[in-house]
Amino acid sequence: MTTDVMIYAQDLSKHYGSFRALDRVSFEVRRGEVVGFLGPNGAGKSTTMRILTCFISPTGGTARVHGFDVFDDPLPVRESLGYLPQRAPLYLEMNVYEYLRFAADLRHLDGETFKKRARSVVEVCGLAQVLTKDIRQLSHGYRQRVGLAQALIHDPPILILDEPTSDLDPNEKAEFLDYLKQIGKERTVMLSTHNLKEVESACARAIIVSRGRVVADGPLDEIRAKSGNVRYVVSVQESASGSAYRGKTLPASNAEVSDLLSKVAGVRKVTELPTDERAHAFELASEQDADLRPEVFRAVADKGWVLLELHRDTQTLEDVFRHLTIGDERRNRTIGASPDGEEEEASEEEEESAEDTDSDDDDSDEEGDEAKS
Amino acid sequence: MSETTTDKDRDLEEKKKASKKGEDGGDKKASSKDEEEEEESDEQEESDDSDDEGDDDDDKAKAKPSRKDDDAALAAKPRSGLRVDRSPAATFTRNVLTIAKRELGSYFNSALAYIVISLSLGGFGVHFFLFQGGVWQIERASMARLFQFAPGVLCFLTIPLFTMRALSEEKRLGTMELLITLPVRDSEVILGKFIGAYGMLFFQIVLLGIYPIVMFVWPWHLGVLDWGPFWSAMLGMLLMSGAGVGVGLMMSGFTESQILSFFLTAAGLAALYYVGEVVQYLPGWPGDVISFFSFQSRIEPFTRGVIDSRAVVYFLSVTILSLLVSFRTLESRKWA
Repeated sequence: MTTDVMIYAQDLSKHYGSFRALDRVSFEVRRGEVVGFLGPNGAGKSTTMRILTCFISPTGGTARVHGFDVFDDPLPVRESLGYLPQRAPLYLEMNVYEYLRFAADLRHLDGETFKKRARSVVEVCGLAQVLTKDIRQLSHGYRQRVGLAQALIHDPPILILDEPTSDLDPNEKAEFLDYLKQIGKERTVMLSTHNLKEVESACARAIIVSRGRVVADGPLDEIRAKSGNVRYVVSVQESASGSAYRGKTLPASNAEVSDLLSKVAGVRKVTELPTDERAHAFELASEQDADLRPEVFRAVADKGWVLLELHRDTQTLEDVFRHLTIGDERRNRTIGASPDGEEEEASEEEEESAEDTDSDDDDSDEEGDEAKS
Repeated sequence: MSETTTDKDRDLEEKKKASKKGEDGGDKKASSKDEEEEEESDEQEESDDSDDEGDDDDDKAKAKPSRKDDDAALAAKPRSGLRVDRSPAATFTRNVLTIAKRELGSYFNSALAYIVISLSLGGFGVHFFLFQGGVWQIERASMARLFQFAPGVLCFLTIPLFTMRALSEEKRLGTMELLITLPVRDSEVILGKFIGAYGMLFFQIVLLGIYPIVMFVWPWHLGVLDWGPFWSAMLGMLLMSGAGVGVGLMMSGFTESQILSFFLTAAGLAALYYVGEVVQYLPGWPGDVISFFSFQSRIEPFTRGVIDSRAVVYFLSVTILSLLVSFRTLESRKWA
């Protein structure tokens, strides 16, 4: 392992009873990377971070931080980390200065280093006004800042931040992200968030987790490309609805249209979209570079079909995120769906395509099954 | 990010630092030249690097020779953000004390400590002087009466009140996560918490020393007190409190609720304390065995001036055992 890899996780698994919070999560983070750790609630972000900070142990797999194993050498791991847990839990009865002092003491910073560092983090986190206030009296935003200050006090080579911006106002967020970008040149920063805009502005790379698995990992551009980052929606009029175009074509059947579209050069995947009686609608996925609209139009026109709609979307990170993690949402809305159910063993792809078309049916089916059993 | 500190400020800081070192560096002349050099270069690095972005590792790697001045020669404290070359024992002690200090600080920061201490002192006073004729009935210069009552109150009330929040509060608020992910061992956390809570009990028990002083030394002279039994009883109380705080800490580690922790501890300690009384009618060895485990019968010799080694061992064993259980409980979070 090169020394450049600051965080290394391999096959991390964590089970709570029969619930799999993490399922063989593997990734690497190198020095100088700012990585956004994305995922819906309950996807395993915090669990991963807790394992990396040696707060809990994985059920399986290994992780190394700064070259130290999280299981065998928790102390050196923690020394090289700055960690901000979710919602910044702090000792409410201490004042801000005392708290920073306490954190610095446990990190063995001596008086002068502490003073220097404190001055720097107080400025970065904007704490000058509240330094002598009890943490109890502070708003959530300020508590979050104190939590950040605590994580930065020893100038750690690695920062692990669990939703660091959740309680900050937009100005603070922007400022904080700028700061992250700046320190991220020398350091390794891993931050979890729901806010995709933040990731886009601060991180060069993202890891998306869903249901305890890594579903995407790579530079943002690559992730955008991950699920076919250009999307075309095509609908073709169904002949049953009335007059065929110039009266010279055969009725277009679903399979025919799908067949034709998948033959267009550059199309990676054809997915049927739900429509009414009068049209066949499909979603095409393709590479970003080419524009397939002329080809699609020609193919359809050659057949003499009526093209009702054709448009091209560039997917945003948000789309990708939704696309990759949509199963989680459904799980939350379905009473009785097993948290670890068999249907989830099905490959990601299949499931997602099913989701798009008939998620409602799915739900009712599952409820039905549950009732029968 | 940029630091607003101007050069002037930094110079000032440097001077302050230097003068401070001059004061406390005297006894550290013996330390090695290498350390001094590292110290200097680090310092240089720090002051050059206005926003402190140099990686600490890198800082240490570059041991560039730099300016020599008398102050730096005097000062030889190793300084760095990351820990260097400290013995495990030293860091252990230091961490434990830091945690204990924070605990004590937070006790004194809450009204609870003052209420508990003053109420129990008041209660002891009422019992000692007034209840059933008070100390005057005995017509002897003795503190024995205080020690008939005080240990029970400590077990029932004071210890549970001081230990109830130790771990449960941290678990409930989630502060445990931040504490544990600092570079501390679980054992340091437990021991620090123990010392913090025990410190409060120690304070409370030491305050009992006011009684004999005001009664027999100054301002009143009610007679000549035999101090022997008093000291041995105090020792007994301290040992017993150690065991009690251990049990309280253990109970506190089992639950996130302070109230539950309080009642568990109070019930547990009361049972341990009074179990001897309950079984005194049980004939033969079973009664003896059970009453051996009673805090009350263990502490009784101390109030007569006898330091019973069996009791010392017993109390220490309970303390250590409960601390071990607390440690394991804390560790179990990893596997939950």
